[in-house]
Amino acid sequence: MTIFSLENVSLKRGGKALLKNINFTVKRGEIFSIFGPSGAGKSSLLRLFNRLYEPETGKIFFNGKDIREYDPEELRKRVGMVFQIPVMFEGTVEENLKIGADIWGINIEPENLMEMVQLNKDKLHQKANRLSVGEAQRVAIARTLALEPEVLLMDEPTSALDPATTLGIENLVKKLNRELQLTVIFVSHNIQQIERLGGRGLLLVDGEIKETGEIDHILKSPNTEEMMKFLSGEKL
Amino acid sequence: MNQTLTATVLVAIAIILVEVQRLGVGKDLFIGAIRSFIQLMAIGYVLQYIFNLEKLPYQILLLLIMVVIASFTAKGRAKELPGAFFISFIAILTGATFTLGLMLLLRLISTEPNYLIPLGGMVIGNTMNGTALVLMRVSEGMKDKRNEIEALLALGASPRYASSRVLKSSVRAALLPFINTMKIVGLIQLPGAMTGMMIAGASPIEATRVQIMVMYMISASVTTGTMIASLLSYRAFFNRAHQLIELP
Repeated sequence: MTIFSLENVSLKRGGKALLKNINFTVKRGEIFSIFGPSGAGKSSLLRLFNRLYEPETGKIFFNGKDIREYDPEELRKRVGMVFQIPVMFEGTVEENLKIGADIWGINIEPENLMEMVQLNKDKLHQKANRLSVGEAQRVAIARTLALEPEVLLMDEPTSALDPATTLGIENLVKKLNRELQLTVIFVSHNIQQIERLGGRGLLLVDGEIKETGEIDHILKSPNTEEMMKFLSGEKL
Repeated sequence: MNQTLTATVLVAIAIILVEVQRLGVGKDLFIGAIRSFIQLMAIGYVLQYIFNLEKLPYQILLLLIMVVIASFTAKGRAKELPGAFFISFIAILTGATFTLGLMLLLRLISTEPNYLIPLGGMVIGNTMNGTALVLMRVSEGMKDKRNEIEALLALGASPRYASSRVLKSSVRAALLPFINTMKIVGLIQLPGAMTGMMIAGASPIEATRVQIMVMYMISASVTTGTMIASLLSYRAFFNRAHQLIELP
């Protein structure tokens, strides 16, 4: 079942065309990767799903309804987002976990959230700004999960992490997708990471979709020159 | 007038000193002295005219002109903020009207021009400084804390909630200079209203009583003005879809 559908979407920012004629769908409960070189427009595309950015043309449907028909705050609660650099607010880890929940008047169980993202509960009372980047990213994920979103948008969440921590976050994403049937839209520039995550995805180059489909299939038999270049590490 | 002209000797001495020392500000000091002379003489005659009219509407009109000039000045210090003039105007006008109005209602000050105009000027001037500072801080904060604000928006926060940290710190920063002045007032230098009254022959106790009233009036007006400015200014950074707008 389709959860997100993009039709003829284009985006301009600062007078520059960042996305051109984007069409694709995301299915409920899948991991969908948006990958491509730096500056391709991946993060901008991700920000369209929760309406942090507004497309210049085209339509985006969430559960069959134009996202402009949703209250922006309600949409953002249902479509959570984790950023490249985790933002930790002043206060303890527990206070950070409660920020989104407090906005919505939701009662949360911080211990359960910590367990969900595989963090030691002892860290709950630690100052959030003393966490490592990897730990902070897990807290940011937990904070978003506290709102029980239907979709999790992840904007290169491992780009500032070491390889071991990166693998830990990837396994966490797969676990959340499997156990919570959470739809994950994952942005990355790393082809090995895309391969490990599996699912479906698309290659974005200069704001245009150059290849799309099952990740396994794309990697084994690329259809376009751009995909072949991306796989071989050539500059696009 | 003779006293004023004699006092120009002091400015002349100051100009000679900076010229001898080649500090490079002699010309600016000269222009500053001329400008202050012309501006103060002009406002002196305007005030004299309004005082002679002894009609409240003219006093209110003069105070409104002061608010407009103060709003332009505050806008000039927050150039990047869209709608800065309108925000400043509402903030300064509300702060000053609330404070002066309350004082008039409680009959703590009279509508005599020699009371209302100088007190209004002090209230408007200080509220202008607070408003300008808050607008500058909000503009900077919305740029510097863009990631934090976006993270809060992504959690479903309203623009006001997402900006609240920036707004609170901006109001705090705008109030601090005034709070610090209040803490040391009278210890290092005597404030303007008090000095003016004593020069005019009032007793130190009477001058102090008025000065305390002025300080408290200003504190209420600056606090009201800065809070209104902060609450109006954050909206300029969001569109109707509650998205952070692109800044130049």
